[in-house]
Amino acid sequence: MRVVRIIGGGLRALFGKQRVERDLDEELRDYVESAVEHKMRAGMGREEAAREARMEMGSMEALKEEVREVGWETRIESFLQDLRYGLRMLSKNPSFTGVAVLALALGIGANTAMFSVIEAVLLRPLPYRYADEIVRVTSTWNRNGTLTSYTSSPPDFFDWRDQNRSFSSMFAYRTGEFALTGQGEAKRVRAVVATAGMFSTLQAEPLRGREFTAEENLKGANHVAILSYGLWQAAFGGAAEAIGKTIQLDSEPYTIIGVMPADFRFPLSDSDAYVPIGFDSQVMTQRGAHYLAVLGRLKRGVTLTQANDDLFAIMTELQKLYPDKDGKWGVRAQLWSTALVGEIRPALLVLLGAVGLVALIACANISNLLLARATVRHRELAMRRALGAGRLRLVRQMLTEGLQLAILAGGASLLLAHWALVSIVRFGPTDIPRLASVGLNGEVLAFTMSASIACAVLFGLIPALRSSALDAAGLVRTSISPSGESGRLRSALLVGEVALSMMLLAGAGLLVRSFMGLRSLSPGFDPGGLLTLSISVPDAHYKNSLAVQNYWEEVVAQLRGLPGVTSVAAVTPLPLSGDDWSSSFRVEGRSVPEKDEPSAELRWATPNYFRTMTIPLRKGRVFEDSDRLGAAHVLLISETAARMFFPGSDAIGQQVNFGANGGYEKNEGEIVGIVGDVHDFGVDAPVAPTFYVPLGQAGMDGATLVIRTEGLPAALGQPARKLVQGLDRDVLVGEPVPMERLVSGSLGQRRFYMMLLGGFAGLALVLAAVGLYGVISYSVAQRRQEMGIRVALGASGGQVVSMVMGQALRLAGLGLAMGLLLAMMLKSVLKGFLVGVSTTDPATLAVTALVLLIVAVLASYVPARRAAQVDPMAALRFE
Amino acid sequence: MPLAQQTGGVVQGTLDMLILKTLALEPMHGYGVGLRIEQINKGVFQVNAGSLFPAFRRLELQEWIKGEWQATENNRRAKYYQLTDAGRTKRKSEAREWHTQSAAIARILEATSGEL
Repeated sequence: MRVVRIIGGGLRALFGKQRVERDLDEELRDYVESAVEHKMRAGMGREEAAREARMEMGSMEALKEEVREVGWETRIESFLQDLRYGLRMLSKNPSFTGVAVLALALGIGANTAMFSVIEAVLLRPLPYRYADEIVRVTSTWNRNGTLTSYTSSPPDFFDWRDQNRSFSSMFAYRTGEFALTGQGEAKRVRAVVATAGMFSTLQAEPLRGREFTAEENLKGANHVAILSYGLWQAAFGGAAEAIGKTIQLDSEPYTIIGVMPADFRFPLSDSDAYVPIGFDSQVMTQRGAHYLAVLGRLKRGVTLTQANDDLFAIMTELQKLYPDKDGKWGVRAQLWSTALVGEIRPALLVLLGAVGLVALIACANISNLLLARATVRHRELAMRRALGAGRLRLVRQMLTEGLQLAILAGGASLLLAHWALVSIVRFGPTDIPRLASVGLNGEVLAFTMSASIACAVLFGLIPALRSSALDAAGLVRTSISPSGESGRLRSALLVGEVALSMMLLAGAGLLVRSFMGLRSLSPGFDPGGLLTLSISVPDAHYKNSLAVQNYWEEVVAQLRGLPGVTSVAAVTPLPLSGDDWSSSFRVEGRSVPEKDEPSAELRWATPNYFRTMTIPLRKGRVFEDSDRLGAAHVLLISETAARMFFPGSDAIGQQVNFGANGGYEKNEGEIVGIVGDVHDFGVDAPVAPTFYVPLGQAGMDGATLVIRTEGLPAALGQPARKLVQGLDRDVLVGEPVPMERLVSGSLGQRRFYMMLLGGFAGLALVLAAVGLYGVISYSVAQRRQEMGIRVALGASGGQVVSMVMGQALRLAGLGLAMGLLLAMMLKSVLKGFLVGVSTTDPATLAVTALVLLIVAVLASYVPARRAAQVDPMAALRFE
Repeated sequence: MPLAQQTGGVVQGTLDMLILKTLALEPMHGYGVGLRIEQINKGVFQVNAGSLFPAFRRLELQEWIKGEWQATENNRRAKYYQLTDAGRTKRKSEAREWHTQSAAIARILEATSGEL
C-alpha cells in the first residue's frame, strides 16, 4: 500500500539522516561540476570555470543548512496548518465535537478513575525502603484442602526468627487500642504493639529518640512508647522535651522514648503510638495462641522460594517437637505487597479489563462518527487531494484532528475522574488497603495522556487511512454518494459496540443479582434499630472481676433509661465487627488427644443479648441475671455447633471446657441452651459454630454495647456516648455505629465492585445508544432521496419507520447475539464474584438483552421518524 | 506557506511554479532545471543554487516532485527530479490561478484613470 511506503519513507528520512546528508553532498557536487562543464563549453578554461561556479554557488555549508531547515520548517508549518485547520473544523461542527468529546471523555475518565484505584492499591510501592524485600509470614491451616492463613503464636515466631537463614530481621505485632487519659476526656489511641526489630525490619528510623530494645519485649520493661508525629504534635505541640515524659495509656504510665517522622505509616494506615509487646515469662508455653502478625525482611539475594523452603524446614522440625500444638500448622511467606491485596487484586484487574472495553466502545463510537463525517467531507477531501495534497498529508491531518479531540476529551476526563475518585474515597469500602489515598498524581496523568493518544490513533487511523486511500479523480466523480465499503465498516463497528456493551451489561447484571440475593440474606438477627458502642474499661480502675461485672450492670441499667431504648446488652467480640475469638475445647467424658480437639468461636454476652439482637432461642434457656460470678458456670451453643459437635445426642447438659483464654477466668460450664446461628463474618460468609459465655462470669473488661431503640439508632449515638462517658471519664468509648452499617459494610467490597462494573456497563450502554443513533441518523440522511421516492410512490410513514428501524434492529440484534456469546465466555472471570447466581443465569441475561433492545429501539426511533417525515418534493429537488 | 517570501530575487511561490513547469516537460537534474529556467525567461532573473535546492526540498516534502538517482552522460551519479501525480495536478491549478491573478493585476495596472 502506498501509505505504508510513504510512512516508511518518512521514518527512513528521520532515522537515515546520514544518508540524506550524503545524497545532498553528492547532488551539490554534481551541480557544481555540471556548472563547470557548462561554462567550459561556453569557452572558459577549466580553472576559471571552476572558480566562477564556486562563486555563484556561495557558501556550501550555508546552502546545506538552508536545505535542512526547509525540512523542519515545512513539517512544523504543515503541522500548525493541520492544527489550525482541525480547530476550525471542530469549532464549525459544535454538535459533532460535543458528542465526540463527551463520549471520549466518559470513556477515558472511567479508565482514569479505575487506573487511579489500581495505582493506589496495587501499583504504588509500599512506603518503606526496599519494600519488595518485606515479607509477611503466616501460620497456615489446611481447611478442606485449601491453605488458609492465620496469625501466629509467640513461640513459633521466636523459633522462625532465630532459626532461619533467609531473613535479615523479623518482628511480630498486633494492633490494638488504648485509652489515652490524664488529659481530659479519654481519647482513643490506635496502637501497634510490636516486638523489637520492627523499625529495623521496616528500615524506618525515629525522627527523635530511639526504637525498642529486646529487653523491652518483656512484661514490666514494656512501659515505653514511640509516638506518631501526629500524636506528638497533638499532645505535646511537637516539643523536643516530650522524650522522657510519660503518658497514661489505659491508666498506666508509659515513658516516651521516640517520635516517628510525619510520613511514617504502619501498618499502612495511621497509628498513633507504637508500644513494645510485653510478653510474660510464660510466653514460650503459649504455642497454641495464634494472635501475632509477622513481617520479615529478606536478605539481599534470597528469593521468596528459598525463604519458604527455609521456613518449611523449620516448621517440619517444630511439628515433630510439638505434635500437640504445632502438628497441624504450616507456614507460608508471601511478599507483603502481594499478601495485602490477595483477593482484591484479581477483582480490580477484572474491573480494569471492563473499563478498557468501555474505552474501546468509545473509540469505536468516535471512529464511526469520524467515518460518517469523512464521507460527508468527501468533497472537501477530494478537493484537497485534487489541489495536490499528498496522502500522507491527509492521514496526518485526520490524525491531528483526532488528537485534538482526544486532548480536549483527556482534559474533560480528568474532571470526571476527579469527581469519581472523590466519591470512591467517600463511599468506597474501608477494607481495601490504601483506597483512601487514591488521587490524580503524575502516574495517573501519564496514563490519561497515553490513553488519550492511544484512543486518538485508534479511532483516527481507520477513517484517515480510508479517506486517503480514495483516489482524487474517483472522489470528485462520486460526489457525496455513500461508499458501500464505508457503510459496512461502520456497521461492523456498531455491531462490535453493541456486543461489548451486552457483555458488560450481562456481567453487571449478574453482579447486581448476586448482590441483591446477599442483601436479602439475614445475618441471623434483626439489625434495624440497633446501635453499637464499643467500651474499654481500664484495668487500673476495676481491679477484679466483680468490679467489672458491676460496671457492666450499671452501664446497661443506665442506658436502659434513655428515651426510646427498649433493650440493652453487651457482647464481645461483636458480630460483623471483624474481630473474632476462636479456641479449641474439650467435652467432658470424651477422651480425645489434645491435637484432635475441636475448635469453635467464643462470644461473651450479657443476659439480655439474645433478646436485644433477636437471636432466637431454639432449646433450653438463654442467660439469666442469676448467671453471675459465683454461680454455676453456664454456656449457650449455636445450632450449627450443636449439629457439628453433638450429632444425634442432646447438647444440653453437656460440660464443656475451653481452658484459660487470654488470661481471663476459665471458660467452662454446662450447656443450658441452643440459640440461632449468626453470620459473624458477613452475611456472605458461612456461619461458624459458636459458644456463648456469660460476660459477667468471665470478667471481660472490654465489650460492645448493643442498644435497641424505637427511634433512629444514629440519633441515639451521642446521648448514649455522653451517658457512658459521664459514668467514668477514663473509660474509652468508641464511636457509635448503627448495626445496619456493619451489615452493609460486610458487603462493602461486593457493593464497590458491583457499583463500578454497573457504572461501566451504564457508560457502555449510553455509548452504544449514541453510536446506534449516529449510524441510523446518518444512514437516513444519506438515503433522503430514496426515502423521498418511496414516500412519493406511496409508502406510508409507518412503512418507512419500520424499514429504518428494521435495519437498526438487525444490527443491534447481531451485536446482541454476539454479546450473549461473549457473556457466556465470562464464566471463569466472574465466578469468584458471584454468590447464588450461575454465570449463565437465563433471567439476568434475558433482562439484560431486553434493556439493550429497548435502548436500541429508542435510539433508532428518532431518526426513523425523521425519515418518515421527509418531504418527497424537497428530497427529489436535492442535488 | 508565506507566498511573498523573497528568495534570490524571485518570489518563492513563483519559483516553485517555475520548477513544476520545467519538470513537467521532462525529468531533469538540479543544474539543468536552473539553466532551463534562465533560458526560458531570457535572463530576466537568475536562479542560483541557494534558492533552487531549498525549493527542491520543499517540493519533495509536499510530494509534488520526487528525485531519482541516475547516471549522467559523463558517468556521474545525478539526482533527476520529476513531477508526481499530485505535482502535475498542482501545476495545472497553480497555472490557472497564476493566469487569473496576473490577468487581474495587468488589468488593474493598465486601467485608465477613467476606469478607476
